[in-house]
Amino acid sequence: MAHIPVDLQYTANKQSDSRPPIAALRNVSKVFGSVIAADALNLSIAQGEFLSFLGPSGCGKTTALRMLAGFEAPTSGDVLIDGQAVNDLEPYRRPVNMVFQSYALFPHLNVSDNIGYGLRQRRPRLSRGEIAGKVGRALEIVRLTGFESRRVWEMSGGQQQRVALARAIVNEPKLLLLDEPLAALDRKLRKEMQIELQDLQRQIGITFVLVTHDQEEALSLSDRICVMRGGRIVQTGSPQDLYDQPKSRYVADFVGTSNFFDGTIDAVVDGIATLATRSGLRLQGAATAGLSVGAAVCLSVRPEQIRMSRDAVPGGLACTVHNRIFLGEHTEYLVQHPALGTVNVLTPRLIESGDMSFQTGEQVHINWNPGRALVLSPD
Amino acid sequence: MTRSERNWLLVAPAAAWFVVMLVLPLSVIFVFSFGERGPAGGYVPAFTLEQYANLPARFTAFKNTMILAPVGTIAAMLIAYPLAYQLAVRTDPKWKTILLVLVIVPFWTSILIRSYAWIFILGGRGLPALLEMVGIEGVRLIYTPFAVLIGIIYGYLPLMVFPIYVSLDRLDKRLLEASADLGAKPLRTFLTVTLPLSIPGVATGCMLVFILLMGEFLIPALLGGGKVFFVGNALVDLFLQSRNWAFGSAVAFTLIVIMLVTVTVYMRVIARLQSGRDDVSIM
Ligand SMILES: Nc1ncnc2c1ncn2[C@@H]1O[C@H](COP(=O)(O)OP(=O)(O)OP(=O)(O)O)[C@@H](O)[C@H]1O
Ligand SMILES: [Mg+2]
Repeated sequence: MAHIPVDLQYTANKQSDSRPPIAALRNVSKVFGSVIAADALNLSIAQGEFLSFLGPSGCGKTTALRMLAGFEAPTSGDVLIDGQAVNDLEPYRRPVNMVFQSYALFPHLNVSDNIGYGLRQRRPRLSRGEIAGKVGRALEIVRLTGFESRRVWEMSGGQQQRVALARAIVNEPKLLLLDEPLAALDRKLRKEMQIELQDLQRQIGITFVLVTHDQEEALSLSDRICVMRGGRIVQTGSPQDLYDQPKSRYVADFVGTSNFFDGTIDAVVDGIATLATRSGLRLQGAATAGLSVGAAVCLSVRPEQIRMSRDAVPGGLACTVHNRIFLGEHTEYLVQHPALGTVNVLTPRLIESGDMSFQTGEQVHINWNPGRALVLSPD
Repeated sequence: MTRSERNWLLVAPAAAWFVVMLVLPLSVIFVFSFGERGPAGGYVPAFTLEQYANLPARFTAFKNTMILAPVGTIAAMLIAYPLAYQLAVRTDPKWKTILLVLVIVPFWTSILIRSYAWIFILGGRGLPALLEMVGIEGVRLIYTPFAVLIGIIYGYLPLMVFPIYVSLDRLDKRLLEASADLGAKPLRTFLTVTLPLSIPGVATGCMLVFILLMGEFLIPALLGGGKVFFVGNALVDLFLQSRNWAFGSAVAFTLIVIMLVTVTVYMRVIARLQSGRDDVSIM
């Protein structure tokens, strides 16, 4: 999220709420034999937004995307594009284009013929001049001008990726679907392409739906993220919402990193829940809706919310510094608590400087503001 | 041993094979074709162009071969393509192997025996008899060019199906999805993606079948019944029956030259069609 000011992103989300949905899934399920690949998916995709499906391998992301593209028909439920149910509409009739994971460029066509492929299918036909003009602009957008007559296999991975992108956006689809488009690239190139993707999306204003299992990629690119698990959508929200208000341990774990402590709720006072761990410790965190006294829960504390000091503090936990990892602007500590195990603490350089730096083996006390920790359902 | 000596050693077996299998027999034929028939048949050394001057005597054989070989190749290709397409693209993977084996099974028995079956089917008591029952009389099928064509297609179909099947099976199915995604209807996808990408298989199949057909003699002998004969039949006659080796050599050499010219032109055309692509090759 380095390059998006936080307040700007919130306004973007507010806008997207008022925009009409360009596509939607209504109770969509897809069953392959005995596998439920998509389980009652409900989702509205707003005009112009950048939405990501995020989840581990096999959770049904590609299946969801392929139903939007028209390669799979839902077993039940409706896929809507522009308010119309398109369940049985063939892919070639949908105003939707897809960037395939391995690009699927046509090996027998050169770069400009690959990009112009969709334009040549238009009826009424476009003139050669029109096609050449649009292809030229698409090449400009992906910064491949001059590569027109190159053979696609003579291009590097990143260049092929950009050709695949150009081949899709040149058709000005209402919805651009991207299935792990950056997975085949090395880390550095992936970073560059992520920024390019985001710039591109802002520049052309097409709705993007991205599939990824890389949480960093989803967090940095998306207006909204759909976290999936076993064919279901478990939570949808902006990157901040998911990070700050995860509804379950699964989401908190998948989006960012967190410390988790299991226990049962002892009491709830003013929205702050006290939970008892099995070892008898009392820990506090903000109660989330639907959890009552006696429920088995999980406390999630983000590493950067934990304060660490040499002096004992009321309600603090005494730990031993186990490991210290210097990360530049942050330092990560792994501290050991006799009952809770290893706790991950992230301290900014600012605080950590001088005598606030802790050494391995040192005795420390950790605590957190209960309002900044979350009591979640344990699954 | 120097590097180049070692290279020579490595190339030697291939070179020997080339000399024994190709250069030697060809040279013999070439030399014989300028000789004369001995009084009791065989070959007598000489240098005369008489044999080549005599070629028009076998014009019909050349004409039949030059018509039926390409027509048979094209007909086999037209039938093999949909078959290979069905197998490679449409068939559930778990049935593919079984169906492929079914395509090969006919190869397990000799073409001689399989052609005899066709003699019966096309002969008087086969199809024509059936046609007579529905009132179509006087149809003659056996010992016609049509019968030979049927035999050719039947005999060479598996050889055509295989290379086409391989090129279609290798085709990345996501390219077909990409094409549909970009707005191409199924027929357009077939014409602009599937077909161009399967050309190498088609080219290989056609070449294999055509070359073998140019030397075919069994099928015309059985289904052409002496009325429709190929250059191959003429050669059998000249070498085995009338024992005119000199004239036989001239006929054989002419056939080889015609074949070389045709295949060279054909390769040029295909290479141009596929120009600049490294993901395909002919054969
Ligand atoms: N055509 C199919 N036939 C049978 N099962 C399928 C098919 N396509 C997907 N599945 C199953 O559906 C489930 C979801 O698959 P999907 O490809 O949508 O996962 P994914 O989230 O995209 O995973 P990945 O990150 O590995 O690509 C998997 O269990 C998969 O095995
Ligand atoms: Mg996938």
